[in-house]
Amino acid sequence: MSAGPDVYHEITQFLYREAELLDSGRFDEWLDLLTDDITYHMPVRINRERGDYPDASEAMEHFSEDRVTLRLRVERLKTDFAWAEDPPSRTRRFVSNVRVSPGPDGATDVRSYLLIYRNRGDTPAVEILSAERRDVLVRVGRVWKIRRRTIIVDQASLGAKNLAIFF
Amino acid sequence: MDVNDRRGTHDGARIDPALRARLIASMKPADGAVPAFIFSSPDVYDAELQRIFARSWLFVAHESEVPEPGDYVTRYMGEDPVIVTRAEDGQVRVFLNMCRHRGMRLCRADMGNTSHFRCPYHGFTYDNSGRLVGVPFHKEAYGDRLDRDALRLFQPRCDSHAGLIFATWADEGPSLAEYLGDARWYLDVLFRRATMEVVGPPQRWVADANWKLAADNFASDAYHTATTHASIAAIGLTPSIAFGKDGYQISLAHGHGCGLGISPQPMVPEEVLALYARHLPPEQAALWRQIKNLHATLFPNFSLLLTSAAGIEGKRIMHTTIRLWQPRGPDKVEIWSWLVVERDAPDEWRALSRKAYILTFGPSGIFEQDDTENWTNITANTRGAIARRAATFNYTMGVGQEPLVQGFPGPGRVIDTKFQEANARNFYGRWLEMMLA
Repeated sequence: MSAGPDVYHEITQFLYREAELLDSGRFDEWLDLLTDDITYHMPVRINRERGDYPDASEAMEHFSEDRVTLRLRVERLKTDFAWAEDPPSRTRRFVSNVRVSPGPDGATDVRSYLLIYRNRGDTPAVEILSAERRDVLVRVGRVWKIRRRTIIVDQASLGAKNLAIFF
Repeated sequence: MDVNDRRGTHDGARIDPALRARLIASMKPADGAVPAFIFSSPDVYDAELQRIFARSWLFVAHESEVPEPGDYVTRYMGEDPVIVTRAEDGQVRVFLNMCRHRGMRLCRADMGNTSHFRCPYHGFTYDNSGRLVGVPFHKEAYGDRLDRDALRLFQPRCDSHAGLIFATWADEGPSLAEYLGDARWYLDVLFRRATMEVVGPPQRWVADANWKLAADNFASDAYHTATTHASIAAIGLTPSIAFGKDGYQISLAHGHGCGLGISPQPMVPEEVLALYARHLPPEQAALWRQIKNLHATLFPNFSLLLTSAAGIEGKRIMHTTIRLWQPRGPDKVEIWSWLVVERDAPDEWRALSRKAYILTFGPSGIFEQDDTENWTNITANTRGAIARRAATFNYTMGVGQEPLVQGFPGPGRVIDTKFQEANARNFYGRWLEMMLA
């Protein structure tokens, strides 16, 4: 069952707005889009034979965050010593293939594809990171917030020297 | 014929005379002089694969990754792909991941369980002791002329210590025990303190950096923490930027090196200390009441790190990570990183350990991010004409400082400060010796 056109429109606008905040380094405003009980995960992908599922590990993850640790990551970026992102990357997040369906306890399940273009420093070299995001969104008052995000990144060996960015 | 005979291939020719002369002229490890060009030169890299990686004992897996008969993981020794597998006899063996018929990669998954490896190209099939046991249409294709015994999988020597599995292509030379030598005392502090296991698969990521910069950092460099990792103190995860200073640096034979940070009070809860005391001899168990951190590199590219530099949920928590700095070219390294935990520690300790690890280390780690920033920028700089021609990097910190003669329980050449580069000098000394010998 999919959501009605109004909800679908609201949610896609919400995801585009989130991408804009992250691409422009407005991390505090991004944190405002998350519920206080946010869980934020990126399992390690594994290169397995077909049928040998799962091919993503919950035992080890690249992110395993709550609001406290996400806040720490944001606060770190604001220090004068976050060398990995200072000067910052130029990122552009492309969000597509959005699917919306009813979730547990009145929440809304949202799946989207994410393609991050990332360039940094004075070289034209580019990192491309592709993922599916499996989100649980809730309405808090009149606004949507993210309660749970699982990021299925599409590399077993990451072509990135760090994951100093958010997905 | 010895089926494992690789003379003339793996133990390649001596290095180019011009490179040899240049290394001798420009590199003085004992004086702390290391030329910049060795961090991105393709000629140096080609020689390293033969002279260093094809002749050293290399870490390939932790025993908890292949607990059952048939379990396998695929790994690399230098750039050579290998299969690490436990056979029905319980023995772990390592094989070059290459069919002896035409060189196809036999096993193309990261992990799994199988009793046989079947080549996708022509179907040559090997059991997990490396024997060629199946050849499709054997009689029609070869009659009786195919010597199966001559077509065993290439098999390096393999041994383990404290759950850590190593392999080497050097058919002659030291045993693993001899190779590790006194480093075993420090390995045991970490890996015999309890029954240790890895948590899930390794994280892997690629940085445009030379592998040696990471290896020397983990062996020797406590000094960088005050600047590179100043953000950690700025957000309150450590009390001050001097968290890396107090302790000892220990240089060990064969290029290995260890740094051990000391704390005035135990960093581990009493119930966990009690677990360690059940597993370790008294001297090593007592050391745990003082350990704040421990970092080491076992030559050439295996490092380990125990750190307490993250307060999570108001609690100071330690975690242990092991990693491989896999060479992927003169200016590229693939980092493999595992979290290691005590199987029998309280669930809360294990969970907080995992959380602290993911926050601070691994590709997203707010410590580790800034390390790769340094190593990638240095590597890029060493490609410059001036750096290649004239630059020598300075590893002189502590030259001439006398080692302790007593007052420290562990073996090795012990200096009673962590602000010290003796381990880097030791690492590059061993590197040069192997490149030239």
